[in-house]
Amino acid sequence: MADTAVRRPAGAAPALRIAPRTLRVLLGFCVLVAWEVLPRSGAIPTLFLPSLSDTLAALADGAPEYGRHLLFTLRAIAVSMAVACGLGIGAGLLIGSVARLRRIVQPLASGLYAVPLVILYPLFTAWFGIGPQSKIVFASLYGLLPCLLGTIAGVQTIDRQYLLVARSLRATRRQTVLRVLLPAAIPTVLTSLRIGGALVIVGVVVAEMLTSAEGIGYLITRSRTLLDSPRVFAGILLVVAMVFAFDGLVRLLDHRTRHWRLSTRSGDGGA
Amino acid sequence: MSADASTRGAAATRRAGGWAVWLGALAVLFGTWQAALSLGLLSPMLLPPASAVLATAWDLVRRPDFLGDVGVTLAEVAVAFLVAVPLGIALGVAISESDYWSRVLRPIVFLVFSIPKTIFLPMFILAFGITFAQKVGFGVFSTVFIVLISTFSALESVKGDHVRVARAYGATRRQIALRVYLPSMAPVLLEAVRLAMIFNVTGILLAEMYAARAGLGQAVATWGQNYMLRELLAGILLIAAAAILFTEAVRWLEARCEHWRT
Amino acid sequence: MAGKATPLPEAPSPGAGAPGPSLRALPSRNGSIRVTGLEHTYAAAGRVTKALEDIRLDIAPGRFVVIVGPSGCGKSSLLMMLAGLVAPTAGRIVCGGRALTAPDPDLVGVVFQEASLYPWLTAQENVEFPLSLRRVPRAERTQRARDKLALVGLAGFEDRYPHELSGGMKQRVSIARGLVQNPPVLLLDEPFAALDEQTRISMGDELLRIWEQTGKTVVFVTHSLTEAAYLADQIVVMSARPGRIVDRVEVDLPRPRTYAMMGTPRFAELRQRIWEQIRSQADG
Ligand SMILES: Nc1ncnc2c1ncn2[C@@H]1O[C@H](COP(=O)(O)OP(=O)(O)O)[C@@H](O)[C@H]1O
Ligand SMILES: [Mg+2]
Repeated sequence: MADTAVRRPAGAAPALRIAPRTLRVLLGFCVLVAWEVLPRSGAIPTLFLPSLSDTLAALADGAPEYGRHLLFTLRAIAVSMAVACGLGIGAGLLIGSVARLRRIVQPLASGLYAVPLVILYPLFTAWFGIGPQSKIVFASLYGLLPCLLGTIAGVQTIDRQYLLVARSLRATRRQTVLRVLLPAAIPTVLTSLRIGGALVIVGVVVAEMLTSAEGIGYLITRSRTLLDSPRVFAGILLVVAMVFAFDGLVRLLDHRTRHWRLSTRSGDGGA
Repeated sequence: MSADASTRGAAATRRAGGWAVWLGALAVLFGTWQAALSLGLLSPMLLPPASAVLATAWDLVRRPDFLGDVGVTLAEVAVAFLVAVPLGIALGVAISESDYWSRVLRPIVFLVFSIPKTIFLPMFILAFGITFAQKVGFGVFSTVFIVLISTFSALESVKGDHVRVARAYGATRRQIALRVYLPSMAPVLLEAVRLAMIFNVTGILLAEMYAARAGLGQAVATWGQNYMLRELLAGILLIAAAAILFTEAVRWLEARCEHWRT
Repeated sequence: MAGKATPLPEAPSPGAGAPGPSLRALPSRNGSIRVTGLEHTYAAAGRVTKALEDIRLDIAPGRFVVIVGPSGCGKSSLLMMLAGLVAPTAGRIVCGGRALTAPDPDLVGVVFQEASLYPWLTAQENVEFPLSLRRVPRAERTQRARDKLALVGLAGFEDRYPHELSGGMKQRVSIARGLVQNPPVLLLDEPFAALDEQTRISMGDELLRIWEQTGKTVVFVTHSLTEAAYLADQIVVMSARPGRIVDRVEVDLPRPRTYAMMGTPRFAELRQRIWEQIRSQADG
């Protein structure tokens, strides 16, 4: 993103225009100001949109309660994440590298991807109760398919020459998987992790919103029934922050593996 | 000629293989289902026999109240889809028209896209109440960003060379739009339609499950709360089958359009 | 049309006083290659392609043989078989006195066209990779990889990642990797095809220098006639559909080869002869 600021727009009258990045910051600032001013001036009813300061105040007020419920939600997320991403990426690596398996699983998984999985949640509450188990099962399933499909596709895009080299050096099957397939798949695995992980977070929160007695999602729904808009928004803000934090974490990992991405067949980075 | 026939033959085998995979999957599903019951892993109360569920499904599709729910959901889905897809494409084209604005706005669109939309559902209830408009609004909100992003990539899939060649031969703007842009973008846009429908249906079913007076999502949620597992499982099977059939149909169309691409 | 090909006398068999290698340090194992009656047919997506037909090669240790031919004539397929990566449909490959049926990195080193360096490893680690698969002790591994990188002129670039190297440097690393197990045979599949003209010529010189120093048997695939005539002891000319050997040309230009030789009448004559072979096959 930083480089867009440095490059000048190629189009007409570049001198009059603000750098895109600056404009984006300005736009973001305008949104924040509007969020504060519009509800305060009465242009938007505060029930629909509580002002920014009210929302932050609600968050500060309810901090201990939010903290307690956040902890509950985070625990469910951690377990689901381990299941969804571990299973999805592990199975994806295996399935992606065995052609026969892939021809069976890939069409099934991408067909199932079309099924709106939310409708399974009532089944899980019936089976596992309204405690954390039903949330974990649901969120794991919710994040599993994107992880699986992404990893399978990622293994597919691995340059076949990498495997050919390994074969010409008589690498064993184990060496090929651990030292070639796995490192070569890491960029796609990280992308799958980003998408699947975000879905896991939302899966847990949405499940809590639907039926629960604990967690951030429950807090949002309770505040919604009480028409306590600032606290609804405070909860949503918290979830968005959680998603961004996770995203940032994966990006950080992604940055550490930049060599993978920079050395593509055509891109002679340092030529 | 013979090569053409042989590729068509290969495609036919692949399709037959696809059907076999799905049939196999169904066999495995019902097999484990019956096995779980006969081994006593789950009580029939929590998992009714598959035959009973299928009979209930057959019952459901003839029951007026269920069909009413289906009608409500389909109406919401259709309206949201018809609003979101043209809106997303128009916005995507408008943003891409200007080099400058696309550089300003694209990162914002991608940022917003990365935030899961489902958690904003309570906001729609606060703003619109529990109404048809609220469901449609949420459906549009869930869908429009994926359409927007697909439009970006559809526009990027148009090769500059193809446009330049058309220009060099004196094609008009209209001719370029219809003969170069449209065929190049069609496969990507069809994929967008497929993804949009997935996002849209998920959004609307969730909205109905969360708070509604009618609709499939509401029916499913109620069955779950009342432990009516026959109806619940039948409903899940019907919705899943419809969703899979729809996307496979679009995918088939996509495959046909692929021939245009080089 | 096959009658137009007038094969020159076969390369002398090992021990019959082959020119050159006697002066060089021969590797411990014999790098002779003998291919008889080789044939290959691909069957993919319901289509059958006869890629190679009746291939016969007899390469003495330490020779530099270049295979040249239009794209699609089966050069890569032939090289894959010499590397033991693809099993021929029919025929026999004997390398170093033994039948070759599987990849044998101690006997044959391979350099692929491009993108064959692992991007997650540094230059040094890429060269060490074959040794680490064999569990060679770390200290020895490091030393051998360092030596080979120095041999290809990359001392000081050990810690660079592939994306930090130019195209020519990447191929140097590939060559170092191909040499690190000290195999008597080195196979190269259009290694310089993606490089610009200048880099290509200097890489050719570099490869010749390495060859002079190590005395390997080299089989080098290219579609460039100039490259073929500049590098080779012997040029094997192939034609397409199905891939066959249509000519074998002994290159009698003196060594060391210099850039100035490209302007000599003899060089032009050689190129002309190869070109005519390829063209007559394409017309027929
Ligand atoms: N894996 C494969 N499957 C089917 N056909 C192949 C395969 N590899 C190569 N071919 C075919 O074999 C012929 C020779 O290919 P190749 O050895 O790559 O030629 P070259 O390296 O001389 O360009 C070509 O017609 C090519 O289409
Ligand atoms: Mg080739």
